[in-house]
Amino acid sequence: MNTMSWYPVFLREMLLFRRKLFRVGYLFSAMVVPMIYLVTFGLGLGRTIDVGGMSYVAYLLPGLVAMSSMNNSYSWVSSALTLNRHYFKTFQVFVLAPVSPSAIMLGEVFAGMVKGLFASLLIICTGFLFTGMFVTTLFFLVALLLNCFLFASLGVITGMLAKSHEDTSTYNNFFILPMAFFCGTFIPVDRLPAMLGTVVAMLPLTHTNILIRKTALDNEGVVSLSVLVCYAVVFFSIGSRLIRKYSE
Amino acid sequence: MIEVSELRKSYGEKGRSIIAVDGLSFRIRPGTVFGLLGPNGAGKTTTIRVMTTLSDPSGGACSVAGFDVTRDPASIKERIGVVPQENNLDRELSAYENLLIYGLLHRVTGLRKKISEVLSVVELDESRERVVQDFSGGMKRRLLLARALLTDPEVLFLDEPTIGLDPQIRRHFWNVIRKIGMDGRTVVMTTHYIEEAEALCDMVGIMSKGKMVAFDTVKGLKKLVGEYVVDTITEDGRLEQFMCCDRREADSVASGLQGRLTIRRSSLEDVFVKLTGARI
Ligand SMILES: Nc1ncnc2c1ncn2[C@@H]1O[C@H](COP(=O)(O)OP(=O)(O)OP(=O)(O)O)[C@@H](O)[C@H]1O
Ligand SMILES: [Mg+2]
Repeated sequence: MNTMSWYPVFLREMLLFRRKLFRVGYLFSAMVVPMIYLVTFGLGLGRTIDVGGMSYVAYLLPGLVAMSSMNNSYSWVSSALTLNRHYFKTFQVFVLAPVSPSAIMLGEVFAGMVKGLFASLLIICTGFLFTGMFVTTLFFLVALLLNCFLFASLGVITGMLAKSHEDTSTYNNFFILPMAFFCGTFIPVDRLPAMLGTVVAMLPLTHTNILIRKTALDNEGVVSLSVLVCYAVVFFSIGSRLIRKYSE
Repeated sequence: MIEVSELRKSYGEKGRSIIAVDGLSFRIRPGTVFGLLGPNGAGKTTTIRVMTTLSDPSGGACSVAGFDVTRDPASIKERIGVVPQENNLDRELSAYENLLIYGLLHRVTGLRKKISEVLSVVELDESRERVVQDFSGGMKRRLLLARALLTDPEVLFLDEPTIGLDPQIRRHFWNVIRKIGMDGRTVVMTTHYIEEAEALCDMVGIMSKGKMVAFDTVKGLKKLVGEYVVDTITEDGRLEQFMCCDRREADSVASGLQGRLTIRRSSLEDVFVKLTGARI
C-alpha cells in the first residue's frame, strides 16, 4: 500500500520522540517557556495592553498556542534533518529506501505536527490551570493543524538547505523568532507601525493568529484560511522537491 | 549486471571542484563478488554512492541490475542492500528498532522472523533490545550488515564492511559474503585488507585517482605484474622488490643479486603497490 509509505518515516521519529519524552528535562523545558510568557505578559506587562475589551490572558493564550506550535513543529524537524544529513547520516536510510520523496516529506511533517500539537496541549493545560477555562473552536483546531503542517514543512525546507547546524539557528533567528513577536501573538497586528504591518500581513503566523481567535467565519477568516492553505501547499511541494533532488 | 561507463563525479562548485571519479568504466556479471581496491581518496566510496543512487553522477552512465541510476533509481533501491563506510544507524534506537524501520521502509514480508534471522547471522541476538549508542564499533558494523541483508538484496554493496572487526567475526563475515556470492547474487565490496579481497573476490578492480588502473581476476592481476617476487635488502637497509613473470626469471634475477634475498609467489598486495605506487 503506497498510501501508508510515510508511516515508517513517522514511526522512526515517534520512537525517538518517545525516548526524549521520558527524559525529565524535555517536558520541563517545553512547559517553561510558555509559562514565562504567560506570567510576564499575561499577568504582568499585558495588563496595560488594550485588546479590544477581552481580558488579556484570554487574548494571549491562543496566541501562545500558535507560537509554540510553530516553534515546536518547525525547530525539531529543521534541526533533526540537518543533523541527520550532515552528522548522523541517517537520512541516507530514507533516501535509499524505495519510497517516494513525498512519503518521506509526509512522514517528517506528521512527526513535526505531533511535536507541535504536543506543545500546544501543554499550553492548553497550563491555560486551563491559570484561568479555569480554555475555549477551543473549530477554527482554533483548523488553524492549529494548518499551522503545525506548514511550519513542519518549512522545517523540512530549511533542514534540507542548511549546510551545517549553525545555519539552523540563523534561519531560526531570521524567520521564526521575529514571527513569534510581531505576528499578533502578544499584541494585535494593527498596533504595529504601518510599514511593518504590511510585511507582517504576509507572514503565515499572522493568519494563524487571526484564524485561531475566530468564533465565526467572516471575510477576514476566509482570507486567513486561504493564505494558510496556500503556504501549506507551497511549503510542502518545495520540501518534497528538495528531497527528490537530494544527492550527496 | 552492473555497468559503469565513462562515469564522472565531481564535488563542489565549478572552478574549485574536486574530481573524485574520472571516466570510470567496468562491467560486473551477476553472481560475482567484486572487490574495489585503491588508496585513500581513490574514489571508491564515491563510486558506490553513485551506484547506490545516493549521489547523482556528473557525467557518464551507470546501471545496476539493469536499471539506470538517474532514470530509474526506485527500481535499483528495491534490489540493493548497502553497508556504508560511515555508520548511519540510529544511535538512539535499539538494534531491533533500527531493523524494524528499515524493514518497513522496504516492505519486507514476515519482518519479525526475518529480523531474528539476520540478527543471528551476525550473532547479535542477545543485543537486539540494546540501544545502538552502547554498541562497540564492531557490533555496529555487524548490525549494518544485518540490516543490508534484511531484504535479501539482489546486489549487495559493502564499503569496508569488516573494518574494526575481530578476526573471528571477520572470518564469519567472509563466509556470509561467500555464501551470498554462491547464491548467484552480486556483491560489490571495498576493502583495505588485501588478503580479504584475495580470499573472497572473483574479480578485482584497482582504482587510483578516480580511474580504474586494473580490472581482472586475482590470478589475472598477478600474471599482469609477475607471478614471482624477489625481495632483497639493499646495503642501506631498504627493501627492494623485483617482479618476475615466472620462476626461471626469478632465479636468474636472484643469481645476480647479493645479500639476503627471498623468492616468493606474488600477492595481490604486490600488484596493488605496483599499480598504485602507494602502500596501503
Ligand atoms: N562529500 C564530499 N564532498 C567533497 N569532496 C568529497 C566528498 N566525498 C568525497 N570527496 C572527495 O572525493 C575523493 C574520493 O573520495 P572517496 O571517499 O570516494 O575515496 P575512497 O576511495 O572511498 O577513500 P577511502 O579509502 O579513504 O575510503 C577524495 O578526494 C575526497 O576528498
Ligand atoms: Mg571510502
